[in-house]
Amino acid sequence: MAALSLTIMPLKGTAMRLLASLLGAALLAVAAPSASRAAETLRVGTECTYFPFNYRTDAGELAGYDVDVAREIGARIGADIAFVCQEWKGMIPALLAGKFDLIVASMSITTERQEKIDFSAPYRVSIGQFVAARDLNLTLFDADGALMPAALEGVRIGLERASTYESWLKAKAPGADVAYYDSNEAMYLDLKAGRVDAIMTNPMKAYLSFISKPDGAGFEVVGPQLEEEAYFGAGVGVGLRKGHDDLKARIDAALKAMTEDGALAEFGLRHFPFTIHPQAWKGAS
Amino acid sequence: MGFDLAIVAESLPRLAEGLALTLALIAASLAGGALIAGPATWALLRPSRWLRSPARAYVWAFRGTPALVQLFVIYYGLAQFEWLRETSAWAVLREPFWCCVLAFSLNSGAYTAEILRGAIAGVSDEQAEAARALGLSRGRIFRLVVWPQALRLALPPYGNEVVGMIKTSALASTVTLAEITGVAETIAAETFAPYEVFLSAAIIYLALAWAAERAVAAAEHRRSWPQ
Amino acid sequence: MGALTGWLDEFAWGAFLILRVFLVAAAFTLVFGVVGAAARLSGGVWARLAGVYVTVFRGTPELLVLLLFYFGGAVTLTALARLADPGAGFVDIPPFWAGALAIALIAGAYATETFRGAFLGVAPGQIEAARALGLAPWAILLFVRLPQAWRIALPSLGNHLIGLMKDTALVSVIGLNEIMFTAKMATSVTGQPFTMFAAVAVIYLAFTTALSAALAAAERRARRHLAR
Repeated sequence: MAALSLTIMPLKGTAMRLLASLLGAALLAVAAPSASRAAETLRVGTECTYFPFNYRTDAGELAGYDVDVAREIGARIGADIAFVCQEWKGMIPALLAGKFDLIVASMSITTERQEKIDFSAPYRVSIGQFVAARDLNLTLFDADGALMPAALEGVRIGLERASTYESWLKAKAPGADVAYYDSNEAMYLDLKAGRVDAIMTNPMKAYLSFISKPDGAGFEVVGPQLEEEAYFGAGVGVGLRKGHDDLKARIDAALKAMTEDGALAEFGLRHFPFTIHPQAWKGAS
Repeated sequence: MGFDLAIVAESLPRLAEGLALTLALIAASLAGGALIAGPATWALLRPSRWLRSPARAYVWAFRGTPALVQLFVIYYGLAQFEWLRETSAWAVLREPFWCCVLAFSLNSGAYTAEILRGAIAGVSDEQAEAARALGLSRGRIFRLVVWPQALRLALPPYGNEVVGMIKTSALASTVTLAEITGVAETIAAETFAPYEVFLSAAIIYLALAWAAERAVAAAEHRRSWPQ
Repeated sequence: MGALTGWLDEFAWGAFLILRVFLVAAAFTLVFGVVGAAARLSGGVWARLAGVYVTVFRGTPELLVLLLFYFGGAVTLTALARLADPGAGFVDIPPFWAGALAIALIAGAYATETFRGAFLGVAPGQIEAARALGLAPWAILLFVRLPQAWRIALPSLGNHLIGLMKDTALVSVIGLNEIMFTAKMATSVTGQPFTMFAAVAVIYLAFTTALSAALAAAERRARRHLAR
């Protein structure tokens, strides 16, 4: 027993000093405090993998509608824009934690989200639509364009977590069989494999990254475009933390100018054969 | 950084649903692994290279690669093959649950086979020799002398394997299965409160691991010779 | 198979990143293991804290640990930093360090138990002799305990390090662009998930096999003074 204590006792002092110096070094080494207010650099959170709204080109550059809009806003309000890539489901928590100052990531303005963060006026319309295989002949909507929950029996729907499509479907058909995905790519893979019978997503995006590609042959949009404001919101807006009304006003002013002088239209036409911004300015003017 | 206990309370019932799926997943995967380990262990112990080498390759491949990668190869990878999607096997492989069971069984089988092999090899040769001297047949030697002792030797590492499977089951959330971690992720995305929800999920897993360790300890106790 | 050739350099880059994460995490693992073992052997409140650490990190799924680190780590550090300086900005942990730290904490919990057993396995007579020779406690730890405990710990430690290597696949969950991410990108472009994920598996198999060989060599070297 004495021998054992001889082994153990001297460990205590050394161990404690080691622990203390390690903790100190770790805290110093790891903490990388980033500039918050002062110099007008606004950090913008975006997904970086959401073609064609925010994505990386082969050269590694960030591009897309959201990226263009963010840069233009920065130019107009006199701030430098620095992009931070963030996985979609952690977007709002990261903004709240201060990892970045703005969200420009095709995030729809919804009442749920407005409880936690503020939004600018919309800079893009928000719509959802089902996509399914042509030969499934799915009829999910009646003649008036309302969803028939009974039609969803035996149909498995793929959705992205934390998306407006999820809120819409949960409200309209709470008993639906849903599989949740963390990325669009995984969702398209499973749609192709037949693991899910239909998915619900942004039709602009579905068209560009899936339906128009060879993989997407045999798939089409099903049912009307859905744009109920209650679920999809007034559109897609710039997200910011609450309590920054002056910044919000500046961003709104910039967006209003961009709508009126055609900048938003130009950005939209870069990626789509149609414009995607709200035609009539939907902000407080 | 406030800690919202209300969210924890609200998420518990949904997490409980996830728990049922987790338990089913663990049980099925361990059973599958045991099923695979039987023939695999047998092959590992054969003198013939033709039997031993494939078994060793299987163990090497499944212990040497991450479970997550194995899961993705089976879940996403197999779906790539059109001819596979036409067969009747697809009705089963289409479901995320069975894909996970397949992947986790193959994984568990490799570890279990190695555990059993080590345990059988660990039973001293003298035991088998003495039994042969007594005139017991090969089959009986294995069944009555080697296997019971090997089982006792295998219990501690197999206990680790059970706890390992509890932890591996969380990976099923990455392929849409709504087990504990999957449910937690969905709730976290809805409430914007990831911290509270994931902490609750972690506590449930810890409780499971504790229960598993108690069960294995009890099994070890029952099998041990009186000292 | 041809689809793979266009992606070889991305995979190589991702594999290199995995290697870096592993090396950093392995270093942290050794530190956590030794410190944790020392804490557990010291008794008192430190032993209990270390005991909690071991239980929590051995019993919680690795995926969940990474998710908690991802969502909570920076928040906790920022809160700590703000305690010291209220004007401090957001303290961010880059995903590389968050991931390496998270998996190192997990492997460190296993390593703690391994080192604890190994330290106990060092003959007390050695320690007595060292103290009789007037060595300071830190010198005893460094020159007497560690070299001998190392030899006892190595086989188990090797298994923990192999587990650590495989855990690096999970850091893709917190946004590190390594080979899992590359495989997902390649899949969405080529539509061949089997090929891409099988490539990832092969890369990991190469890493773990090389690691096992290195560990076996280290074990032989550690035993070289013992009669064969």
